[in-house]
Amino acid sequence: MMRVYVEGIGLLGPGLDGWLTGRAVLAGEAAYVAAPTNLRASDMLPAAERRRAGVPIKLALAVGQEAFLHAARETKSASTVFTSSGGDNDNVHAINNILATAPREVSPTRFHNSVHNAAAGYWCIAAGSHEPSTSLCAYDASFPAGLLESATQVTVDDAVVVLIAYDHPYPEPLNAVRPISAAFGTALILTPRQTEKSLASIEVEFVSGNAQETTMQDAGLEALRCGVPAARALPLLAALAGGKEAQLSIAYFSDNHLSVRVKPC
Amino acid sequence: MAASAQEKELAQLIVTSLNLEVSADEIDPEAALYGEGLGLDSIDILELSLAISKTYGVQLKSDDADNNKIFSSLRNLNAHIQQHRA
Repeated sequence: MMRVYVEGIGLLGPGLDGWLTGRAVLAGEAAYVAAPTNLRASDMLPAAERRRAGVPIKLALAVGQEAFLHAARETKSASTVFTSSGGDNDNVHAINNILATAPREVSPTRFHNSVHNAAAGYWCIAAGSHEPSTSLCAYDASFPAGLLESATQVTVDDAVVVLIAYDHPYPEPLNAVRPISAAFGTALILTPRQTEKSLASIEVEFVSGNAQETTMQDAGLEALRCGVPAARALPLLAALAGGKEAQLSIAYFSDNHLSVRVKPC
Repeated sequence: MAASAQEKELAQLIVTSLNLEVSADEIDPEAALYGEGLGLDSIDILELSLAISKTYGVQLKSDDADNNKIFSSLRNLNAHIQQHRA
């Protein structure tokens, strides 16, 4: 079991426009009303990077920036773990289109954005960060894979880590074979020890075998949790929003799961 | 000297292909495109070369010794394109 502390949270999704407003919805204090994700280019980026930023970059930077503001911590002060099932799905679609049409000349900007760690690159430029960075993908288990990796780094390296999870829909025809229902991102700043800014502790344990997944009570939020890999974070975010002790189960690969215990500080 | 119709068309291609945050009218035909001036970087120049190739059929090569002159301003870039367009 690994115990880490949450110091800051970022959230951006359909009808969840930031942690401040999203927290009340996830705590059950306000109704969930689905609305298109309010994407905007981060003002952290220099102009050249800002105009090249696709949806995942906007998502990742918005939630990362919000989490650091929430924690009143400098953006360059933490290692980063990015996790996303597909990365830049619009870009995959656009490059496939180019490669299917003569002459097959790929846009340099699209090529530059096609790597899975593009969000990490933009973040490091925006944040002025020289700290270690990891980029993961694990299909539907991308969020728990990121949480496990982050908790491991916090514990083993005794480091502050920001976990940034994000996913967004593919255009058709890829959407038909890999449907992702909305653009959703979240960020958690995790520390090895409790500080005066700690919101809660999270105990993370990898457990072999199946367990009943923790679901969302609200039907709209449950559809979001099931529809977007990064939104598998919602039960954990709801527990943090509620400010009460909670025991959660998040499905991982091959019928394994993560057992997650949340305790407010 | 004000931008010609051809220069305005090229300015619009630059703004659209690079997703610039300025309008085509704001590009001074004699100001530098690269670095200071419009603030384009090496990825922008590659992207712009691809857009010019598709739009005008003019190939701009990364190893052309005259690249500094060709890309020095909207006016010089347009002159090069008009001279070589198919």
